[in-house]
Amino acid sequence: MSTPGSLQLVTSRSRIKEALLATLFFACAIVAVLGVALIFAFVAYMAFPVITEIGFLDFIFGTRWSASSGEFGILPFIVGSFVVTLGALVIGAPLAVMTAVFLSELAPPKLRAWVRPAVELLAGIPSVVYGFFGVVVVAPIVARLWGGVGFGPLTAWIILAVMIVPTIATLTEDALGSIPMGSREASFAMGATQWQTIYKVVLPAAKLGIIDAIILGMGRAIGETMAVLMVVGNAPQLFAGITAPIATLTSQIVLDMGYATGTHRTALFGMGAILFIISMALVLTVRLVARFGRAHG
Amino acid sequence: MRLLLTPFVLIGFLAAATPFLTGCSDYGYLESVTVAGSTTILPIAEVAAEKFVQSTPDASVLVSGMGSSAGIEAVSTGTADIGTSSRHLRPNESHDLVDIPIAYDGIAVIVNLSNPIDELTTEQLRDIYGGAITNWREVGGDDIPIDLINRDEASGTRDAFTEAVMDDTPFDVGAVILPGTGQVREVVTRSAGAIGYISVGFVSPRFGTNPVKALVIDGVDPTRENVGNGVYPISRTLHFFTLGEPDGLTKRYIEYVLSDAVQFGAVVDAGYIPVTWRGEE
Repeated sequence: MSTPGSLQLVTSRSRIKEALLATLFFACAIVAVLGVALIFAFVAYMAFPVITEIGFLDFIFGTRWSASSGEFGILPFIVGSFVVTLGALVIGAPLAVMTAVFLSELAPPKLRAWVRPAVELLAGIPSVVYGFFGVVVVAPIVARLWGGVGFGPLTAWIILAVMIVPTIATLTEDALGSIPMGSREASFAMGATQWQTIYKVVLPAAKLGIIDAIILGMGRAIGETMAVLMVVGNAPQLFAGITAPIATLTSQIVLDMGYATGTHRTALFGMGAILFIISMALVLTVRLVARFGRAHG
Repeated sequence: MRLLLTPFVLIGFLAAATPFLTGCSDYGYLESVTVAGSTTILPIAEVAAEKFVQSTPDASVLVSGMGSSAGIEAVSTGTADIGTSSRHLRPNESHDLVDIPIAYDGIAVIVNLSNPIDELTTEQLRDIYGGAITNWREVGGDDIPIDLINRDEASGTRDAFTEAVMDDTPFDVGAVILPGTGQVREVVTRSAGAIGYISVGFVSPRFGTNPVKALVIDGVDPTRENVGNGVYPISRTLHFFTLGEPDGLTKRYIEYVLSDAVQFGAVVDAGYIPVTWRGEE
């Protein structure tokens, strides 16, 4: 069967196939790169007139937003985005890290088989469902406990905290899993208890991985739009208390994009550009943390 | 611009020429009416157009929604036979236009059932929405903070409320902004201190929603009668405008829109109040 001739034939055909496949995978990779480049170029191009029409400083540091009277200060939205994101991290990060520690270090295998899929399922729930849950369940509870109508940062924190748990918990669990079992065994051998081992050996060793997980969770929170729009109250004012309505960059873009024209539209693209810069900064931070880890680990 | 207008001018010419071509319908010529303007009026004008064309073969009614200002501009320049608008004419707009009101819409101010306040004046309402009054005690109610519920700037209801109540007073920026009538209503049903405004047609509970209380404004109840009579202060008129008295097919279409079939059909279905309102349903 396998004459030298047919062997030659198979080799050249599979060589072409190899080359074609390599090209195909390269093309797929290029789509992602091109996508980012095109979107960035488009947003930057559409946002550029902000500088001439509104003025960069008036845009970034202006505290009044009123499209109908031509005032386009987005400071309330920048502050709003950070208030909502940081609050969600304060509630969600400990929740997620402790979940990951439980799954990685403490949970009996049978319980882990139930809890881990549940945490991963949280990531699969559409954000509009989270938002609806916020409007129908969380907002009335917040209103009953704190007064007001229940739309504001507190409600958004609670909803977002749950939404970022899967991101942070999964990545933290990976970080904990990469700590060699030998470290734990050495700790036990020294007479340390399980709790001492976790907080004196395992957590410090996984520190950089956990920081990465939290930063990526932050990226998830700052970009979240639909759920936030539904519960945050959408008032274009600076943070005025945990139950006073505010707005974020993402929620305001969605609220206005249906009817915005002219300078108003430009301002929305400007807000998009700011979001782009924030998320690039977060990704860059993750890279720097990783480099720092390699240099000092 | 000239290129864009040409088809409309041709259609207009055709429509104008048809009466001279007696019996043209029998030969299959098409008469047409162009209706352009307010998106608020779109559901009424479209439903009416469909039914009108069914009963008038050989006629066609072209309806488009591009905003009230664009509609007034189109009818003034003759590119549309009828311009529709959810606002009045501004002083700088053509005075040769004939105003034909086709429906009314009232905006009810709603509060929670537990709120003892039954009545406000437009001045009090302006102070409340402008942020000068922040506690119900200041207008004779309980000592609880007022929770303002406003609509987004794209809302036509907000436009009408602004015009009727706010004058040039800016809205308090601390108000919760909700993007829909249903949400405003829902939040008011469960919040003791809340105040909101919605179209009169949405006040009574339907589909199992909870009741809200519509306030008496300047001593007038927001009933369909009072909105229809123009006594209720926060209302708007939905208009058709024509350049000169309408005639021909345009006149027949307008007569159809003003007939009971449309007034108590499409107009009521869209939540508005017939111009020919005659008491209880």
